[in-house]
Amino acid sequence: MNGEFVAFIVLAIVAISGGIWMLNLTKVVHMVVSLVFTFLSIAGLYILLSAEFVAAVQVLIYSGAITIIMLFGIMLTKHQDHEKKGSTRKKIFLFASILAFAFSIYIGIYNLDIGQEGTDLHVNNTEQIGIALYTHYVIPFELTSVVLLVALVGAIILAKKEEKEEKQDT
Amino acid sequence: MMQWAWFIPVFPLISFILILLIGNRIKEKSAYLAILLSFLSVILSFFVLLERAEKTTYQVETIWFSIGNIDITAGYSITALNSLIILIVSLISFLVHIYSMGYMKGHQRFSTFYGYLGLFTFSMLALVMTTNLLQLYVFWELVGLGSFLLIGFYFEKEAAKKAAKKAFIMTRIGDVGLFIAMILLFWQVESFRYEDIFQAVESGSISSGLVTAIAILIFIGAMGKSGQFPLHTWLPDAMEGPTPVSALIHAATMVAAGVYLVASLYPVFLASEVALMVVAIIGGFTAIFAASIALVQKDIKRILAYSTVSQLGYMMLGLGAFGYVAAIFHLTTHAFFKALLFLAAGSVIHAVGTQNIENMGGLKEKMRFTMILFLIGALSLSGVPLFSGFFSKEAILIATLESGHGVLLSLALITTFLTSFYMFRLFFLVFSGNMRGETKAVHESPKNMVWPMAILAVLSILVGYIDRPFSFNEWLLMDIHFNQHHSDHAIWIMILSIVLSLFGIALAYMMYHPNGMMKRDWLSLQVPFFYNILVNKYYVDEFYEKTVIKVTKMSGIVLHWFDRFIIEGVMNGVASFTQFIGRQGAKLQNGQTQMYSTIAFFGLAIFMIIYAVIGGGW
Amino acid sequence: MTTPLSAYLTLALILFCIGLYGALTKRNTVIVLICIELMLNAANINFVAFSKYGLIPSIHGQVFSLFTITIAAAEAAVGLAILIAIYQNRKSVHIDDYQSMKH
Repeated sequence: MNGEFVAFIVLAIVAISGGIWMLNLTKVVHMVVSLVFTFLSIAGLYILLSAEFVAAVQVLIYSGAITIIMLFGIMLTKHQDHEKKGSTRKKIFLFASILAFAFSIYIGIYNLDIGQEGTDLHVNNTEQIGIALYTHYVIPFELTSVVLLVALVGAIILAKKEEKEEKQDT
Repeated sequence: MMQWAWFIPVFPLISFILILLIGNRIKEKSAYLAILLSFLSVILSFFVLLERAEKTTYQVETIWFSIGNIDITAGYSITALNSLIILIVSLISFLVHIYSMGYMKGHQRFSTFYGYLGLFTFSMLALVMTTNLLQLYVFWELVGLGSFLLIGFYFEKEAAKKAAKKAFIMTRIGDVGLFIAMILLFWQVESFRYEDIFQAVESGSISSGLVTAIAILIFIGAMGKSGQFPLHTWLPDAMEGPTPVSALIHAATMVAAGVYLVASLYPVFLASEVALMVVAIIGGFTAIFAASIALVQKDIKRILAYSTVSQLGYMMLGLGAFGYVAAIFHLTTHAFFKALLFLAAGSVIHAVGTQNIENMGGLKEKMRFTMILFLIGALSLSGVPLFSGFFSKEAILIATLESGHGVLLSLALITTFLTSFYMFRLFFLVFSGNMRGETKAVHESPKNMVWPMAILAVLSILVGYIDRPFSFNEWLLMDIHFNQHHSDHAIWIMILSIVLSLFGIALAYMMYHPNGMMKRDWLSLQVPFFYNILVNKYYVDEFYEKTVIKVTKMSGIVLHWFDRFIIEGVMNGVASFTQFIGRQGAKLQNGQTQMYSTIAFFGLAIFMIIYAVIGGGW
Repeated sequence: MTTPLSAYLTLALILFCIGLYGALTKRNTVIVLICIELMLNAANINFVAFSKYGLIPSIHGQVFSLFTITIAAAEAAVGLAILIAIYQNRKSVHIDDYQSMKH
């Protein structure tokens, strides 16, 4: 029994249970918090996969920024703390479809037979990423920054415009 | 001239169509139009008869339609039988047309009446001229339709409507028999044409049991139209129609269609002893049955109606006893004197205003013409010598004697007595003595009513002598070949029937004439039970009401229930099922993104499953 | 024994299905957005796993996952902004209330 394998099992269990808690808890804030567990365990998995930089980014962005923004969203909107029940038939139907989908993908995974293991990914991981980013992927990098800018401006405009109209009404 | 014979039915048809189109505008004048066309028909049929008297049968046929490799033809033929009946029908129709000018004068639907007369005459003439059974059936039903329209002419009266329905339905029941016979014949012979049928029957290619069945079924059809027992109850009720209608249809023509059917399909009957026996028995029984009912009726037209049923029974008896010529002869004479009697009765009704003979009497002085003509008709019907009815009735009695039906012969002789009795009971009650009803101004009928009666009276005397100059016997038998027992005319039958007729007249005189010695009801008082049965027509109508009609109504109700709940239930079920599916489908479109995404994902899952199962890659 | 590639892929599949189920079932719009993030995360696991154990192990898988994280963040921000805008209009985040696409 490899230590890596044990670590993997533990992290996997945490991730999955975080997801299932999220589905079954009732208060919205609890749901978000359980999702944080999932994000963190996924970061652990990244480390297992010799992707330290990505793990760090995952913790920063996901369990940091995105969780906070979701909590802000929850705070700014009124919720009934307890959700109303949806139609059970749809849930069962959806569950069946998801099972079928998962089953078919699993068949694909099962038949997969790719063997190689990458061995030097963890050596100067950040430096490798940096080199790849600024040589192979310069253009996507620049475009991504444009996308971020656009998203920033758009979000501000979207959320702000309504305020301005409200001010004009009163 | 015979190649123009197809015009004979066409003239009344033109009359019908024209009156249908412009009758409303020309109203009273439509009578002249109809009379003219009818007269043309008479002239043409007269010439056709003359020509046919010398030459042989003339026939024209064309192909009507084809089924598979069988061709159904349509056409007409002029045989001896046809040409005679054509003349009878068109002549009586013509006389009725003239008579109706006086009788129906002032009626609101005068022109419609003439239209219906034209339709009926057309169908009857066409029926008589056909060459195959299918065409016959078409015109058979048309004749039924014409009769229905004319019986129900006074449709304001509830009784007239019911009578018309009854007539149509009852003859229809008979027609089912004819139809089944047609189907059986077609199945065996693969053709509807008379010649093919006769050939098949004579050559023995149809099994004898089947031939008997076919013949009896044909006779059932004849029973319906000719009012034989048990399908006779419609004829007396049909008297609800105007009297000219009764004269035309129910004395002379339509009821003769049954006799004509049996006669023209005689070779089929000749092939089956049993069928001929059935015909004779039913004919004989009907004769005495109807005569007994006529003894006690009080309505002038009903007495004549039962008399018609009885005389038709005679004709059927004649046919069943190999007396083909006798039956046709009687048909001819009966047509004339019965039409005369009906027209005379109509004249009386027109003058007095009632049909109940209890309220009549003493019309001898005021309606001399009518009385004399009525008397001629009555004498002819009773079989008094010198009048035509005597000769034809003789012929039937002799035929019955020669074919050895002893019981039927005695029934026929008794019927002769009954016939003369009820006829003269009617005569004396109407014309002798004093007026028992209201004495209003009773006057003789107008000329256009008297002249047709006069012509008919002359004919009913003269037609009896037709055998002498024309050798009627052989001429009629030209087309049919069968063994006729031709023994010497047994004189004793003739004398016996004369005695019976005279005795009937005498008894009627004694009972119903004011100078008579006996009381009217000496017999009915002694046997009131029988008297009641006779007055109620043997309760046949009531019996039918309780059994056949009830069963039909019940099945009608059941089927109505079935139609309403099951069939409509299924239809409504289909409709609501479709609505249900629609509503379920509408639930899918509830505007929520999650629902749409679920459906989309479901589709994707299906694809993935198929992809995985197939093993990837198609 | 090292963890096989299929284990990572299966884990990613399970997380993806959980996220999908939540996205299509939850009534609260914010939670729907969060579940979408979970789905994106699961896809990221796939990238990184293939980067190490795939056909040609290289750094490119990890670089791509960085891009995915970036776009996911941007999308979350914009999504939330839209949610706030709708909320100010309809005063509710219950997803059943957003049904103007109904017939």
